[in-house]
Amino acid sequence: MEDIITNAQAFLPILLQGAKITIGLTVCALILSTLLGLLLAIMRYSRITPLVWISITFINVIRGIPILVQLFYIYFVLPQFGLEITAFQAGAIGLGIAYSCYMAENFRAGLEAIDPGQIEAAQSIAMPWSLMMRRVVLPQAIRTVLPPYGNTMIMLLKDTSQASVITVAEITFQGKLIATSTFENTTVYSLVAMLYLCLSIPLIILAFILERRFGKR
Amino acid sequence: MIEIRDLHKRFGDTEVLKGINASIEQGEVVCLIGASGSGKSTLLRCVNGLESYEAGEILVEGMHVDRNDRSIRDVRLAVSMVFQRFNLFPNRTVIENVIEGPVYVKGETRADATDYGMSLLERIGIADKANVYPSSLSGGQQQRVAIARSLAMRPKMILFDEPTSALDPELVGDVLTAMRSLADDGMTMFVVTHEISFAREVADRVLFMDRGLIVEEGTAEKMLSAPEHERTRDFLQRVLKPL
Repeated sequence: MEDIITNAQAFLPILLQGAKITIGLTVCALILSTLLGLLLAIMRYSRITPLVWISITFINVIRGIPILVQLFYIYFVLPQFGLEITAFQAGAIGLGIAYSCYMAENFRAGLEAIDPGQIEAAQSIAMPWSLMMRRVVLPQAIRTVLPPYGNTMIMLLKDTSQASVITVAEITFQGKLIATSTFENTTVYSLVAMLYLCLSIPLIILAFILERRFGKR
Repeated sequence: MIEIRDLHKRFGDTEVLKGINASIEQGEVVCLIGASGSGKSTLLRCVNGLESYEAGEILVEGMHVDRNDRSIRDVRLAVSMVFQRFNLFPNRTVIENVIEGPVYVKGETRADATDYGMSLLERIGIADKANVYPSSLSGGQQQRVAIARSLAMRPKMILFDEPTSALDPELVGDVLTAMRSLADDGMTMFVVTHEISFAREVADRVLFMDRGLIVEEGTAEKMLSAPEHERTRDFLQRVLKPL
């Protein structure tokens, strides 16, 4: 038992270094996937045929390729075309793009849940499309979108562990390093699991606060 | 003010408007009656471009109505609309609903829009509800807010699409009273309605629609007491004496 505690004390600082990277990666990928997802959802919702098709194609192609493969592609293949990026950047971009598809589908569900009467009311007071989206459609869509959005945030946090395969020094990567050099698998992976659990708690609270803020009326 | 010429509209294989000709003058109150499915609401919705149409022409103050053209904004600024199901913005309070268009579409200051909005709410008797959300209002109150919202745009004309059909019978009176007071003030109104008594008392003219055509039109008095066309007589008989 004492061994475990001593080991944990030794490993934890290293793993916490990894946790910082995990948080950074989650935040960057979350921002990218939210913006890109919103753009894809609005393109789909616009009913402008070329935009709709671009959106549908993008979503289905990206959604059909494993995140791991996308990360390999961005980190190992793009440099061959002269695009040098760091492992962290590759991880953030890869996860951001991969998750934009899930985000887009969440947002689309929210947009399509809007009562057509709301659109007509906005049109009847001469609102142009962009103003209608900003003032009428999006504020109401947020309510429907938040619960699945919270869910997707937590999935994203956990999927940042996949970036370990392209050498991003996040929690899982650090854990794997320690485990292979010390063979303290139980201690290391228990700590890793607990750290992910701890990191997901702020996201759960954030989702709860957002739902309260924009919630039912 | 409004000219409708040989208007045709179809939904898929069904032709719902089969060549409508009608006009509405400034200050007129025109009621459009007819059985459900006769195309009344569709006709009304074509006037402010909520529906497209295949052939014919609609002119609002000389402006051609084309929902895909930039000019639709000017048409909609001139012609406001009140819906059967109110369509208030649920995430905004009553006064926010009323000033939404003036502030964000017309660029009025919030203070000016609120002043005018409150005066409208007072006029239709729901100023005390200015800061509540629509969900806490009765249907009749919501519809009066919707009327205030459309008036706040200072339109030249208001379209009413069966404004009392979704209301409990005891709430209909308040909405009709608000509409009558608008008519008394000289507002141009085009009203799709099943309220024959409202049409009789308030309308300058009544149009009767059946199966995509305007079958008969005339003064409210003549149309409702001595209709010429058999289908009009039939319809009125069924509406006035359902048993």
